[in-house]
Amino acid sequence: MIEFKNITKIYTENQHKILALDCINFSIKKGQTIVLKGASGSGKSTILSILANMTRPTSGEVVVGDTRVSKLSDDFSSQYRLDNIGFVFQKYNLISSLTVTENIVLPLIPTNPSEDYVASRLDYLLKLFDILDKKDIMVRKLSGGEQQRVAIARALVNNPDIILADEPTANLDDKLSNEFIQNLCELKKLNKTIIIATHDPLFFNNSIVDKIIEIKNGKII
Amino acid sequence: MLLIPNVQIILFIDFIFFILLFISLTISTNLVLKWNFASNSQVQYGLEKQSYLVSTIVKYIFFMKLPLFLFFIYSLDSLSDLIVGAMCSAGVIDSSSYGIPLLILKLVNLYFFGFWLIIHYGDLKFKDLRLTRFKFSFLIVASISIIFEIILEFLMFESIDLAKIAVCCGSLFSNASVSYLGILFEIDTWNYLYIFYLSFILLFVSFLKRHDYMYSFLNIIFITSSILSLIMFFSPYIYELPTHHCPFCILQKEYFYIGYFLYISLFLGTFFGIALIISNMIGGQKRFYYNFSFFFICLYVAFVTYFPVSYYLRNGVLL
Repeated sequence: MIEFKNITKIYTENQHKILALDCINFSIKKGQTIVLKGASGSGKSTILSILANMTRPTSGEVVVGDTRVSKLSDDFSSQYRLDNIGFVFQKYNLISSLTVTENIVLPLIPTNPSEDYVASRLDYLLKLFDILDKKDIMVRKLSGGEQQRVAIARALVNNPDIILADEPTANLDDKLSNEFIQNLCELKKLNKTIIIATHDPLFFNNSIVDKIIEIKNGKII
Repeated sequence: MLLIPNVQIILFIDFIFFILLFISLTISTNLVLKWNFASNSQVQYGLEKQSYLVSTIVKYIFFMKLPLFLFFIYSLDSLSDLIVGAMCSAGVIDSSSYGIPLLILKLVNLYFFGFWLIIHYGDLKFKDLRLTRFKFSFLIVASISIIFEIILEFLMFESIDLAKIAVCCGSLFSNASVSYLGILFEIDTWNYLYIFYLSFILLFVSFLKRHDYMYSFLNIIFITSSILSLIMFFSPYIYELPTHHCPFCILQKEYFYIGYFLYISLFLGTFFGIALIISNMIGGQKRFYYNFSFFFICLYVAFVTYFPVSYYLRNGVLL
């Protein structure tokens, strides 16, 4: 269960205060797929960022399970992200000088797992997203859709319960966007909680989406 | 005021510390008064952010103060060339009435800031940051102490009169000394030695029995007895001069900077020994403190013991 309780976020830039989120309240049940809908600058990405505790709210509280996420100190915050969060970015944020395999296993490094575990996890994800034949290729040589799949595999390598995707289809054509939806179906089968921040209409009437939360000017409408 | 480059550097860094401490003192006071971890208010989130800022400032000050302390000692030695009569740091320190209090305060502050860092890292291990209020209360005391140190440092450099002839360490650390150090020489030298080894044996026993509070308390006794016995008994064997008792000359090149090694061992050992109490409070790794502390204390004891033993074996007599 994820709960946003009275979350307000104000960014300050050059002494100007920008209200990104204005007393937001909502909850998400485990295994649900949620779409955060809204125009650019509406506050969608801020919600994802606060949920991953990469940004702290100005006031209010985020609770995931029994953890008060927004009150975690830096060390606990890193551990929380490592254990619970998988992040898929709009521009994938892959490391172009590394191979597909190296990119995927990167988040496992701090956990120091056994070689057998890494191998089995990697094999499972490469097969799940149909990129087994690309495993030794540099990611910069892959197509957009393939890079997207690598990014999702990387987000899943720690087996997190929550997957956050920020404008995941913004750089994809229709075919690849549909492919991404198929990938989400795989994640849903694994009972992952998925939160997608997007303004892509492809998601709005899709059966895999359980709830749409529409945001405008930092408020839920 | 003496404004040789070394003193200018020290005073300039003091000035930076003063500004940083003023910021941290203001924020710390605010934190102590308003901290409420349970709250999700804007004020509380602001305080949490500010606590990171202050922690960064303190870490910066501490890691600057460590080498700066050694630089201070080194600079005192350099100053002795300018002050008539002063042969080493001892003469420089004695030439100002603020010298000895400043030196003691500098050491106490290093310990204070080290303890603060232990509390800080302990606090971060708790999800509810339960030590924060205590941590910043302690920091207020430590910050005031450092501000006082900065003032004393300024006053010391300001009060050194180059026209006045300073007392050399040979006179200062002797029974002819007119300062309160002369009192030390009224007690039989061997008594210092007995107290030193007795405190070491008691430390060893409490180390074996793992008596946390006793071990920490004995470390305070040990550091005192170590410094006294170093002046009164061991130093003549290091210099191989029966009348030379100076605890500063051993920091000089002529004695291969041996004093730095001795003092660092002693201060590290006793620091971790005393910090055991703090570790107890925050549920830290006691074994680490015990082992680290006792290792450095043994190193110090072995090292100072080597000099009279070696002298005796070579000459068949003691000084």
